[in-house]
Amino acid sequence: MSDNSVETVKDTAENFEPKILVFACNWCTYAGADLAGTSRLQYPPNVRVLRVPCSCRVNPQFVIRAFQRGIDGVLVAGCHPGDCHYTTGNYYTRRRFLLINRMMEYMGIDPKRFHTRWISGAEGPKFQQVVTEMIEEVKAIGPNRKLRDDMKVTVNTPSTDEIVASVESDTKVVDDNA
Amino acid sequence: MPNTFAEIQNEMRNIAKELLESGEATMVIGWEKGALPYQSTPVMIRSAEDVDKLIWDEYCQQNLSTYLIDYIYTDEKVAIFAKGCDTRAYNRLIQDNRIKAEKSIVIGVPCLGMKNAREAAKLPEGAEVPMANACKECRYPNPVTFDRKIGEDVTPWCTERDFSDVEAIEALSADEKYAFWQSQYTKCIRCYACRNICPACNCTSCIFDQSASGWCSKDVNASENQFYGVTRAFHVAGRCIECGQCEMVCPSEVPIMLMNKKFIKDIDSLFGAHEAGIDIDTPAPLSHFSVSDPEEFM
Repeated sequence: MSDNSVETVKDTAENFEPKILVFACNWCTYAGADLAGTSRLQYPPNVRVLRVPCSCRVNPQFVIRAFQRGIDGVLVAGCHPGDCHYTTGNYYTRRRFLLINRMMEYMGIDPKRFHTRWISGAEGPKFQQVVTEMIEEVKAIGPNRKLRDDMKVTVNTPSTDEIVASVESDTKVVDDNA
Repeated sequence: MPNTFAEIQNEMRNIAKELLESGEATMVIGWEKGALPYQSTPVMIRSAEDVDKLIWDEYCQQNLSTYLIDYIYTDEKVAIFAKGCDTRAYNRLIQDNRIKAEKSIVIGVPCLGMKNAREAAKLPEGAEVPMANACKECRYPNPVTFDRKIGEDVTPWCTERDFSDVEAIEALSADEKYAFWQSQYTKCIRCYACRNICPACNCTSCIFDQSASGWCSKDVNASENQFYGVTRAFHVAGRCIECGQCEMVCPSEVPIMLMNKKFIKDIDSLFGAHEAGIDIDTPAPLSHFSVSDPEEFM
């Protein structure tokens, strides 16, 4: 399935399938997601998991960039405070994301689209539950239109027929093959 | 003690002359009269003969501490005149290890609040000019650190920060907020004047100069401008000294301080009250953490 076809499906509200980006810490959440998989726990296929060495690797700019490029919801997940593989990484994550969550809300982004959660390697069911709930919530509020970089991402991908029609209606275009 | 503008100005010239003649400083950075009555621009003085260029008036807004960064790797010893906000910026730069205390001389000048040059440009000559927005909320008009000081301390005219403008935005609905910021950031021309003037924006290399890195392109559109706005606000979060220079220099009148103040408000409520640049011992809120920080991500 190409990206364009996803966009086309996405734009019809009743068939809206959100794209959720999960930043998963290598040591806890990625293992938790893995456990959800090996435990055969079902969750919708809308999530894209991006593995990061630590949740504090997630620069808040990554999150804004994701929204710009057409993601409908972002989940940043890492080890519980105190469990960080690098001892203190997630404490920094907590400080930063407490602030950036509030800033995103201040910018007018629905807080339902952006979550931070602690999911340990033993919490496969929690991973399933968090992403399932998030997908349902984002589905209910519809596609993200805010912050989108429409210069680069085509929101309404025109069908081939539409492109042909628009070219034909443009009288300045000379058809060399005619 | 000198207290009027003229007296302080006179004292400034005397001190500058003394420092340059004795060789204690190789350069003095102060303000000189600009091309327009409501402009006072920074001036670098290297010779005792030029000290008469120095002035002190109600438009000496520009923060001089940031210029010290340019001289960190030279043999120069630079003296600067510093208002309350300039000294806070100075402390911040020392904390960030971007300037060295032993290579600079800070001459503190108590400030009575600068006038709003943007308003002055619109008003007829001789009309009463209001105080600059950031100065209205200034709680530190007196230098917080100095090697020498001119004039007597003034009584701060503001004791508490006013977050009513931030709260007004917070009260809006998500779509209204977004429409507001969209309308502000479509005005932005990405001249980076706010970044260049900002004493908290002191990185050796800035992500916005690295368009090939893919962080943020050079496109001037609402999306990239908002990315720029939020990112810059986040980068100065906890380090902003609220001098309001960003807003003063913005040619498009984007309310940049509204963004910075939101972070200040949240930092205060989440991690305890913090005043950037008051001393050099308190670490910036985002450069450390506490295990007892609020927990919202369970």
